[in-house]
Amino acid sequence: MTTGRSLRVGEALFGGGLLALGLLIAIQTMLTPTAGRAVVGPALFPYLIAGGLVLVGLSLLREAFAGTVAHAGGFELDGRAMGLVAAALVVQFLLIEFLGWVPTAALLFMMVARAFGGRGLVMNAVIGLALAGLTFVAFNYALDLNLPAGSVMDLFEQAEDAAK
Amino acid sequence: METLTALAHGFAVALTPYNLLWAAIGVTVGTAVGVLPGIGPALTVALLLPVTYHLEPTSAFIMFAGIYYGAMYGGSTTSILLNAPGESGSIVTAIDGHAMARQGRGAQALATAAIGSFVAGTIATAALTFVAPLMVKLALLFGPAEYFALMVLALTTVTAVLGDSLARGLGSLFLGLALGLVGIDMQTGQARLAFGIPELLDGIDIVVVAVGLFAVGETLYVASRYRFETEEIYALKGSKWLGRADWARSWKPWLRGTLLGFPIGALPAGGSEIPTFLSYLVEKRLAKKPEEFGHGAIEAVAGPEAANNASAAGVLAPLLSLGLPTSATAAILLAAFQQYGLQPGPSLFDSNPELVWGMIASLYVGNVLLLLLNLPLVGMWVKLLVIPRPWLYAGILVFSTLGAYTLNNNVVDLVILWVIGLAGFGMRVLNVPVAPCVVGLILGPLAEQQFRRALAISQGDPSVFLTHPISAALLVIAVLLVLGPMLLRRRQRAAGDTAQPHTAV
Repeated sequence: MTTGRSLRVGEALFGGGLLALGLLIAIQTMLTPTAGRAVVGPALFPYLIAGGLVLVGLSLLREAFAGTVAHAGGFELDGRAMGLVAAALVVQFLLIEFLGWVPTAALLFMMVARAFGGRGLVMNAVIGLALAGLTFVAFNYALDLNLPAGSVMDLFEQAEDAAK
Repeated sequence: METLTALAHGFAVALTPYNLLWAAIGVTVGTAVGVLPGIGPALTVALLLPVTYHLEPTSAFIMFAGIYYGAMYGGSTTSILLNAPGESGSIVTAIDGHAMARQGRGAQALATAAIGSFVAGTIATAALTFVAPLMVKLALLFGPAEYFALMVLALTTVTAVLGDSLARGLGSLFLGLALGLVGIDMQTGQARLAFGIPELLDGIDIVVVAVGLFAVGETLYVASRYRFETEEIYALKGSKWLGRADWARSWKPWLRGTLLGFPIGALPAGGSEIPTFLSYLVEKRLAKKPEEFGHGAIEAVAGPEAANNASAAGVLAPLLSLGLPTSATAAILLAAFQQYGLQPGPSLFDSNPELVWGMIASLYVGNVLLLLLNLPLVGMWVKLLVIPRPWLYAGILVFSTLGAYTLNNNVVDLVILWVIGLAGFGMRVLNVPVAPCVVGLILGPLAEQQFRRALAISQGDPSVFLTHPISAALLVIAVLLVLGPMLLRRRQRAAGDTAQPHTAV
């Protein structure tokens, strides 16, 4: 449940975030020693953009507390579903190098489908695996791209070698 | 005459069976992906980038041209039958198109959109053929100062035109500009804002940002709203053809839409929102029964849809001849060019005429193929709309992560994708337009390069931007575009006028 008030908080967060980003860029640029002897160095644009971010951030903060916000009439959000989708992506980027594309993509598929209320767990798993497998074959063999097979495979191979 | 010879050569390239095949694949895939709810043209092009990695540039861009036009056609199907416009250019189409679908006239709405898109696309492509070389001649007069001013103008219009709050649009723009700073500075080789992460030295890829904002952010948003919204799909029934009355009511809006769409799209201030809204207003004013508008008037589908497609062709003119993207989709096309080490602009017409003219010629071919694909086979595309939502969005995320990962084969891109996706979700909830962010990301570094070049030539004298007449004029227009609406709004508030200006997403 999100009301106009928490949307104001959201808008304040957006403005505050941009403000913080502007300050971060300015400080980071100050700390970087300037190289090269060009008329305009590599630091000018970061300063300009940082300045812009600070100004826009401040104006958004003002708008958040005094102006109009989007969906002023209140607005409902399902935090659990959204969190599940976000978590699915985290699981994937944490595990993809180790487990490889096929299992992690299938898992991503299942978690997202669940977030959208898809209940048939087995069916989702089958479709997820099929999609992950097909893309793996198509991209690695037909299109010459490298989706990871997963370093866990190397462990298996090592174990096999050791067994021999 | 020169142009026609070049175009003939282009057709010779585009009509080889090999390239024809890629054009056909491009329009088919473009339509199929574009038809999926939640996927607009920008995302379609971004998601299909990896598919073209192994192609040689000419075939790859012939395929892109097909994908680009195909995604435009596919987008109208989603807005009409599902009332879910995939991009801001088809918002207007959705109003009356969906109303027609509710009345069982969905097939007629789709037909007038498809034929209108064909008519507009063909006329606008012909206009592009002749305007692009003229723009190239104009571009030769441009020095770095003028280019910089032009880019500032493009950035301001993308920002000022979209959304109802200037501050939110600027927030999105500056976020994009900030992301564009990351990586090695092109002129001095100095690393900026890389925070010691080697993967960041190459900069943040626009594809990751576009997919993050349009796919991940959108999926997170839809997931969070899924329980609260119901969609209505209307099956196509009855005659699939346009009756005589529908033809009579459609053909003028098609031509008027084209007339509005192409020139506005071709301006560096382009985009498709303004021409589609204008077309709607014009048709409403000229209609015999304006009261039908909003309740399924076929003119309100025919005109804006033609304007949308004509502006899509128009946007290619500044993109190809000046290297200037004025929409999110064009920004991704520019990224595609850069991936092949090509920089659109006057020199591209000299160095790679085969590619440029092959691509333009294949736009004509693509249009014909799309008409064939969309009129008789529309029933097939409509089936794609009923894919269960859990599988659709799960699939979108699988392909999004696939696209992000295969860019550089590293996990860092997946992490960036996630962060940008969360930001995109926040922006979607707060009604912050995302197109300025995408365009800012790709134009920011280019504008900086031109700015520094201009100052290097003038030996550090910053007045060069104001003493060159073209550059000064462009900058003045940019300033007026930001200040004008602000002053208007203030005056409206002062007058206590409650009339709301049009609010686009």
